[in-house]
Amino acid sequence: MDNLRKVYGNGENRVEAVKGVSFSMQKGEFGAVVGVSGSGKSTLLNCIGGLDDADSGKVLINGEDIFSMGENERTVFRRQNIGFIFQSFHLIPELDVEQNIIFPLLLDYRKPDKERVEEILEVLGLQNRRKHLPGQLSGGQQQRVAIGRALIMRPALVLADEPTGNLDSQSSRDVMDLLCKASRHYRQTVLMITHNMNLTSMADRVFRVADGTLEELGGVQQ
Amino acid sequence: MKHYLELVSVSAKHRGKQDWMTKICIILSVFLVTVIFSMADMEMRSQMAQAVKTDGSWHVAFVINEEQRALLEARPEVERTARYNALNYYLTEGYQVEGLETGICGFDREFLEMMPDVEILEGEFPENEEGAVINELTEYKLGVGIGDIVTLTTPWGAAVEYRVTGICKETVLTSKLDASIMLLNGEAISKLYKEDTGEGKEMITYVVFRPFCNIQKAVEEICSELGIEQSQVSQNVKVLMLMFQSRDPYMMTFYFVAAVLAVLVMTAGVLMITSSMNSNVARRTEFFGMMRCLGATGKQIIRFVRREAFHWCISAIPAGVLAGIVVTWALCGMLRLLSPGLFDGMPLLGISCPGLAAGIIMGYITVFLAAGKPARRAAGVSPLTAVSGNAGTVQGAKKAAKTRFFKVETALGIHHAVGSRKNFFLVTGSFAFSIILFLAFSTAIDFMYHAIVPLQPSAPDYFIYSTDDSNSIPGELAERIGEYPCVKRVFGRSREAVTLGPEESGAALTLISYDEQQFKWAEKELLEGSIKDAAEGKGLLYAYTSGEEDSLLGETVVVSYGENRLEVPVAGVLSNVPFTYGAGNNTNATEKTAVCSQDLFRELCGDSGYAMLNIQFRSEVTEEEVQELRRMAEESCGGGIAFSDKRLSNREVKGASYSLAVFLYGFLAVIALIAFFNIMNCIAMSVSARLREYGAMRAVGMTVRQLIRMVCGETITYMIWGIVFGCLFGLPLNRLLFHSLVTSRWGDAWELPGKELTVILFVMFCAVCLAVKRPARQIREMTVVDTINVEPEAGGSGYHWNIEPEAEGSVTCADPSMCGEKHRIPS
Repeated sequence: MDNLRKVYGNGENRVEAVKGVSFSMQKGEFGAVVGVSGSGKSTLLNCIGGLDDADSGKVLINGEDIFSMGENERTVFRRQNIGFIFQSFHLIPELDVEQNIIFPLLLDYRKPDKERVEEILEVLGLQNRRKHLPGQLSGGQQQRVAIGRALIMRPALVLADEPTGNLDSQSSRDVMDLLCKASRHYRQTVLMITHNMNLTSMADRVFRVADGTLEELGGVQQ
Repeated sequence: MKHYLELVSVSAKHRGKQDWMTKICIILSVFLVTVIFSMADMEMRSQMAQAVKTDGSWHVAFVINEEQRALLEARPEVERTARYNALNYYLTEGYQVEGLETGICGFDREFLEMMPDVEILEGEFPENEEGAVINELTEYKLGVGIGDIVTLTTPWGAAVEYRVTGICKETVLTSKLDASIMLLNGEAISKLYKEDTGEGKEMITYVVFRPFCNIQKAVEEICSELGIEQSQVSQNVKVLMLMFQSRDPYMMTFYFVAAVLAVLVMTAGVLMITSSMNSNVARRTEFFGMMRCLGATGKQIIRFVRREAFHWCISAIPAGVLAGIVVTWALCGMLRLLSPGLFDGMPLLGISCPGLAAGIIMGYITVFLAAGKPARRAAGVSPLTAVSGNAGTVQGAKKAAKTRFFKVETALGIHHAVGSRKNFFLVTGSFAFSIILFLAFSTAIDFMYHAIVPLQPSAPDYFIYSTDDSNSIPGELAERIGEYPCVKRVFGRSREAVTLGPEESGAALTLISYDEQQFKWAEKELLEGSIKDAAEGKGLLYAYTSGEEDSLLGETVVVSYGENRLEVPVAGVLSNVPFTYGAGNNTNATEKTAVCSQDLFRELCGDSGYAMLNIQFRSEVTEEEVQELRRMAEESCGGGIAFSDKRLSNREVKGASYSLAVFLYGFLAVIALIAFFNIMNCIAMSVSARLREYGAMRAVGMTVRQLIRMVCGETITYMIWGIVFGCLFGLPLNRLLFHSLVTSRWGDAWELPGKELTVILFVMFCAVCLAVKRPARQIREMTVVDTINVEPEAGGSGYHWNIEPEAEGSVTCADPSMCGEKHRIPS
């Protein structure tokens, strides 16, 4: 990420949510971003994931600048290279567990690899729930489905916005284990926003966002 | 805030758009009901005015004697009565005023109020037996005026003198028959009648009953008490029908059809409101759960939802009613503009009480009924559901979408449509109802075309005909008439009885000549063959006779007239020859008729004159101009001709067909419009409700095009099922109504209403295209973050926002247990 800036509002209402942030992460790294409410964490994550436009700066993923892409191209790029995990899961209520997980593949009009799906379901511990609808799952299970959906395309980058925010401690631990596994086992770069400093102990690098600026607090675990 | 129910208005301020959609549904439904009932009311008023103008305002007529009349008048349900009688009705009995064959009518003064068509222009109605009113034609022909004495000679040779007390305007009948009439008062006609029949026979007594009286019941009682036979009773069916007082079997069918249509309109309104209320309340389950969480009881939630419904009604119902009134005014204005003079009596800014009442009552009742069930469901929401964060995002799906057969976005779109059975039936039901309504109302158009034959472009305003059917009207007269600036068109016809085949053994044939213009008009009547050949004098056109199998098209026939014989081919067959002869229609339906060119006619019959001259006037023609033309024609022909003025009857035909056509097509237009807006609104609501879900889909890689395809999938599913249900119920209903209105009376067989279906399906197709376009633009214009973080009210509740932003550009959820996250203020 190179000198990323994001401004909301005009005149007196002008708020610089992200102020020239630059940093980079290697493949397989697990990063955690902490910061108080309103510090710009989510804005930063949305810009990195191409969900939101930046006012200036670049975000390069595998050498490709996502802001140089058109809307449609960026969407397809995001589908194939970035996995998202949200605090409130955002599962598709009309799709069952398996369909939700393979949803990005379906959007790509690709035939899901059965072995890969089975592997993910097994890793997530959802084999017995594959035909359940999101409404029939607990919060922890729903978040596991969301993680499965984020990982199915083997994305280069997984972005998680408060993935444990709505979960109890056991489910939170499970989710963190899964994210670590994604990073370590599948060599995927994971960037997670969290309020919980305890969760940062599992990250390779910890960043703090304050008033739109990013500061690296150092590696917690190598 | 002093009461928890005040939250309704506070919450409404933050849910502006979503509430607007529900309000639009209520407005549309109230508008539909108001405008249709108002238009029906206005049409009834217009038809009533027409009926009163042509048939009078009397309700029932009895042929009774003086004693019975006295008893009848004494009855409490009778408002007023008037005696009436006529002598020499057909102008053949020998009653002559100063040598002029005259129809004699007599009645009580009250009759003038019952028959607005009879209007005294100058002078007054005769007070005594010696007075008489004559019509303008008699005044013109006899050259007499008010105060003059005229002598009536009766068939039995008596001579009675009358003083002219007034001049009355021509009626439709007197103009058409070119008849002289004399009006006497009740006593005078009674006396004359007694002398004519030799005894005091019964006279006709016209009766007007008091308002709100059950007329049919009263008639039954009167007949049984006064010993009156059914044959002595006649009813003003049109007026009674418009007062819902007729028991005529056909009218009963008519009422049944009207009731079916009224129920359909009401049901369409109820469906639209219910579907919108259902989705509005159901979408905010999360909000109601949160209220339960904060301690609201189930009853309080129900009260809250009902208050919300009332809140919508406050603005939506008056808006719907107002829109209905404005459209009704516009239609009434259009009628008056289209046909000034005909609809002068129609209120331009009239208010229809039945229309308003129907709109308001239907609106309120439906909204409160529709709010009941969602309110109970909202009251039953578990607080746990609300705090778990699942409500509003994962609720509603009971089955997984079938992604095997369709692309995932299409499968999801279809699933969005059919996922909730109730929503599916409500939305497709409202789509289907548009088709059902359209098909049901379209039968009224068929009825109209059968019941009221519109004025043909060839219909003359005035015609001159030879009294002995000879072709004695000179062609030069047509030319002279054509020079009058008030004359738009003049065309003549010659007519002769000729023989088809050899003179001694041939069949009778009426040969008529057409000019170029009449051949042009005949093109519409052509069943087979060619008009051109006949117009060029190379053939004949046969008029189709029912039961005739061989049309002789293409064959050469021999036509004889006296010594003359002509061999001519049959160039074509016409469905009918719309022209009449003389004042009445004296064309013999069973007689064979053929049409040829003027030249061919002259070649065979030798006549160069016309049997009839038809005149069409310009709209600004004055009475003086018509009289001048008449004088000129009389002078030119020197007798042997008669006149028929059809302007009044044409105006009536035009008026009746115009008014019915405008209202019926107006109904159809309103239904199509409602279908259009309903579809737009349904889709907009559905998309709006799922914006957050769409945001999530976009975040995980769904392109805008795929999203639009998903919305299309949903819309098309609704449309297809709407069409299926609409046709499934609409076509049998169309058939049933067609049978009741048309087949039972005119015998026409029902046919698939292809045109009507095409129109409504086209409207629906356009609505669907536009309905998808708007949300598509909305989705395209929103960033993913805006969509995903969209205020849940667009797809959920709006309650959990702190109004004061914690930091610029973001707000925090007020309830940390539920959300606690930061959200961008949606742009």
